[in-house]
Amino acid sequence: MTQLTSAPGPVAVAEAPRRRVSLPGGIDRVFRTVLRGAGLTVLALMATVGVFLLIRGLGAFSSAGFGFVTTQAWQPDSGNFGIAAVLVGTLLIASVALVVAFPLATGMALYISEYAPRRVRGFFTSLIDLMAAVPSVVYGLFGSTLLQWKGTDIPKWLSIQFGWIPFLDVPEADPDNPLSPNGVYMTSTFWAGLVVGFMIMPFICSVMRESFTQAPQGEREGAFALGSTRWGMIRSVVLPFGRSGMIGGTMLGLGRALGETIAVAMIISPVFVIQPHILGSGANSVSALIAQQWGSASPFGLGALMAAGLALFMLTLVVNFAASAVIARSRSGQGSDA
Amino acid sequence: MTPQGRTRGRVVGLLTTLTVLVTVAVGFAPAASAQGYVPISGSGSTWSFNALDQWRKNVQQFGIRINFSGTGSTDGRNQFKANQVDFAVSEIPYGLTDGGVKDEPPKDGNFAYMPIVAGGTSLMYNLNIGGKRVTNLRLSGDTVTKMFTRKITMWNDPAIAADNPALNLPARQILPVVRSDGSGSTAQFTSYLADQHAAVWDEFCAKAGRKTPCGFTSSYPAYAGIVGQVGSIGVANYVRQAQSDGAITYVEYSYAKNAGFPVAKLLNKSGYYIAPTAQAVAVGLLQAQIDPNDLTQKLQGVYNSTDSRTYPMSSYSYMILPTAVKGNFNELKGKTLSDFAYYFLCEGQQQAERLGFSPLPINLVTAGLKQVERIPGSTKKPTDISKCNNPTFSTNGSNTLAETAPRPADCDKVGSTVQCDAAGKSVTKKGGTTKTTGAAKPGETAPGAAEAAGTDPGAAGATGGDTAAEGSADGEGDAGTDGGSLSAIPVSVDLPQDDGTLLVVVAAVLMVVLVAGPPLAARLMRGKGGS
Repeated sequence: MTQLTSAPGPVAVAEAPRRRVSLPGGIDRVFRTVLRGAGLTVLALMATVGVFLLIRGLGAFSSAGFGFVTTQAWQPDSGNFGIAAVLVGTLLIASVALVVAFPLATGMALYISEYAPRRVRGFFTSLIDLMAAVPSVVYGLFGSTLLQWKGTDIPKWLSIQFGWIPFLDVPEADPDNPLSPNGVYMTSTFWAGLVVGFMIMPFICSVMRESFTQAPQGEREGAFALGSTRWGMIRSVVLPFGRSGMIGGTMLGLGRALGETIAVAMIISPVFVIQPHILGSGANSVSALIAQQWGSASPFGLGALMAAGLALFMLTLVVNFAASAVIARSRSGQGSDA
Repeated sequence: MTPQGRTRGRVVGLLTTLTVLVTVAVGFAPAASAQGYVPISGSGSTWSFNALDQWRKNVQQFGIRINFSGTGSTDGRNQFKANQVDFAVSEIPYGLTDGGVKDEPPKDGNFAYMPIVAGGTSLMYNLNIGGKRVTNLRLSGDTVTKMFTRKITMWNDPAIAADNPALNLPARQILPVVRSDGSGSTAQFTSYLADQHAAVWDEFCAKAGRKTPCGFTSSYPAYAGIVGQVGSIGVANYVRQAQSDGAITYVEYSYAKNAGFPVAKLLNKSGYYIAPTAQAVAVGLLQAQIDPNDLTQKLQGVYNSTDSRTYPMSSYSYMILPTAVKGNFNELKGKTLSDFAYYFLCEGQQQAERLGFSPLPINLVTAGLKQVERIPGSTKKPTDISKCNNPTFSTNGSNTLAETAPRPADCDKVGSTVQCDAAGKSVTKKGGTTKTTGAAKPGETAPGAAEAAGTDPGAAGATGGDTAAEGSADGEGDAGTDGGSLSAIPVSVDLPQDDGTLLVVVAAVLMVVLVAGPPLAARLMRGKGGS
């Protein structure tokens, strides 16, 4: 038996990977069992979370019926509640976050992988990792007590110049009146999205950088040999090669942005109507709703929060699966299962 | 280094570490367990958090470790009910019905309420007139209700102007800031609104999609134009920002005090505008009905108190104590909790006033001490309350703090043409007098002239308000057209300060660039040449 495993001739090795025909004994078995156990534990954990949310939220689902998806208010104790406003708010915040994070992450990843000198490259890579390690409550503090107060002019300018685009309008604002309060530009979807964008940027960036650096050296040099500039090479080799890495990384970032809780909860002023004006005060998200209300919820209210949590859980799950599918299909991500 | 030397070094290092460890253990361990104290945890009210946090720090020297997280009264009550904490702090008791849902008390019934401190739910605001912060705002309960229900949306509303005859209120939007979490402050505030101004409050509740009659609520209805923030510190932090000009919130007085921001004087039943000082709160709470069995409060008497020194939104905050061993709560914890309670019921009360609260009167301290004895494992410390130095105590049982409270100044009386400034001196309207009569419309000249002469009858609420709005709008907007406006001066004084900071930053950046720039540039160029 042992002979078989070490016997295959050199010709067979060249094409197909070797297969072990016999089971190794002892320590290998133990190791495999442990690993399999780890995999199963993760699976069981996810299933438990889903089932737990489903069971606890079932009462809320059955009492609200289809209205759970269409109602904007959140007063579970009076039976008038739904996730229309918070789910739309979640998506809006995540969209703003992506609009901020995607260009930033792409630029950063390209700079690190293509332009930066070696020493700077290492420095920036660890800086990005550091950015990912900063706890979200710190980002929340940064956004809620500094950024939105010092940066009021940004949404103000955007709303004055681009107010004709419906969602950039701030109806409550009166820019011609110097006495009009700036509070209308704060605690908004924009600020929450901006801060969440900063938070997901490092994740998107590292996935992109990973796929950009894998672009084959031969093709790069081929592009140069054909007279391409560096930008031309990036456009014709690196970006097409890393496209699915870009998409996958962005989807992973989106998954995180949908679930971001504490930073959003600290910045927004919760409203329970669909707030399409992203620069105007008042926003909401499912996770912020749960964070703000679970402590003071009645038993039924808690069930309703669980139901909202389940909705978010499903949404995030779909986004993450889509992301992994995209990455796995790509040329740069063929080897990885991310 | 030789191997021997290395070994010796290692030994020395080991010894040093051991010595340090032993010192730490010997030095600190007995202090922590000298009295057999164990750490206990509680959560709840952010209204009384500042007082509790100070007391918590004070008792650390005795080895008592208290973890208290201010997560809101509602959360505190829920956590206590679920046995997640050893005690809770809340402004309202269990068993009240909020939004149609009764907040059931813990099933076993083994808990007691103990008043811990008194205080005023105050109206902290950020309002500037011509770049100068207003510190003597006065509001009637009716105006407050309308401000927080969006019936009054501008600071120059006639109703606010009528409360403040000496202020040139600006045409600025009011930004009401409320708590977005379940909160005892909201409960205290809304029970005042619901009790005193039920019609306006119910109308608002109906508009916000709640059932009427609305009554009090722990979670303020979400409504367009009202900003919600988490925790007392959250609302106070929002209001204190320079950008929040025009914001107003309800919060315990200590938060405004810590932030260095003014609070509005609130009109009481006898026609005086009163600030939430420790004494005004003590006077008001003389009328609170305390249930002799569980010590809970009924505040209608306070709202309607006819004593001219009363601050109407005064109330007590309560600690919810376990009276039986249950869950994680054992007698050791009971011992720690009882000694903490003995401390703050007696000595802790001395600090209440300095912290922005008001000390408990003698009857509640004695009743509270009885509740402490019910804690399992309580040390049942005999307390000589005459040694507590509580400023409310007297020999005859009356509340000294309330007895000695000064009568309100005449300038705080409703209907007068004058208004007290921050120092208590009476002032009349100034801005309007500087406005030249020729520039204004006929309707506006009359009140302006009347004010100049100091004979404004005070009834000209509506027109007076309009004048004020014009005056200060000019002052901030285009000071150039209004030559006589005093308000432009503080604004211009502020500007150089900002410029100064900017200049310092620019200078620092320039210096860094000058020092680090040339070598960096040289290296970059060399690097390019090399590759």
